[in-house]
Amino acid sequence: MIQLLETQIASNEGIMVQSGKIYLVMTIVSIILIGLFIYVASIDKKITQLEKK
Amino acid sequence: MLRAKWWKVLSFVLLLYTCTYGFLVKVPRLDDRMKESIRNFFFHVPMWFGMMILLFVSLVYAIKYLKSGDLVHDVYSFAFASMGLVFGTLGIITGAVWANYQWGSPWVGDPKQNGAAIALLIYFAYFVLRGSLLDIEKRARLSAVYNIFSFFMLFPTLWILPRLTESLHPGGQGSDGNPGINGKDMSSNMRTVFYPAVIGWTLLGVWISTIRIRIQLLQLKKDGLL
Repeated sequence: MIQLLETQIASNEGIMVQSGKIYLVMTIVSIILIGLFIYVASIDKKITQLEKK
Repeated sequence: MLRAKWWKVLSFVLLLYTCTYGFLVKVPRLDDRMKESIRNFFFHVPMWFGMMILLFVSLVYAIKYLKSGDLVHDVYSFAFASMGLVFGTLGIITGAVWANYQWGSPWVGDPKQNGAAIALLIYFAYFVLRGSLLDIEKRARLSAVYNIFSFFMLFPTLWILPRLTESLHPGGQGSDGNPGINGKDMSSNMRTVFYPAVIGWTLLGVWISTIRIRIQLLQLKKDGLL
């Protein structure tokens, strides 16, 4: 039963555990990067609004 | 140009590419001392490239200010210098972390490490100088002159002296050519990530600088100085 669960977890995670889990690191770095850009873009937008005033 | 969108999107695309393909691209193992840590090359080195490019732009605006006396040029010069120093600081911190695991200690007194620290300290004095002057015209003029001096101090500290002695960094005495110019020292796989990374990080630096410029210009307008 436990063994069955383990294989299920392994197959669910799939790509995330391949080759030393580097895809996991890649995903996390990408999320940080996307968040950072969203934040900078929102500041940019706020200044544009101020400039229009 | 300050508000144009295409290069901001380009910066995002290039950095997303760097942060994904940078982990996947096949890197040379050589004698297996670096292992996967050579991927730091896509993150640590572009900090320095970005710093040099932003500081050069800052230098150009410092000269422009001295020619024109236009405060807008001073605002540009200051914003690019600040962002350049953010990159430089991140470069020295990431370098210390990498050195800790690669060379055994965060600070090994490598000529390039020492040179970079001196270059950064010279630039930090630029901010001390600015902060100590209250008169806006005087601050702009003196800091523009000092900016020119500190940029040219990058030549001995980063580009010449570390290459005249033995160094743990690439390009020290005994290694072939100048790695800053001779890109053939890098595997072609790594180059496909490295150059986009440099452009991406630099554009992000330019973007953040323009935000600072726009805030500063709004402030000056509000104070009736423009």
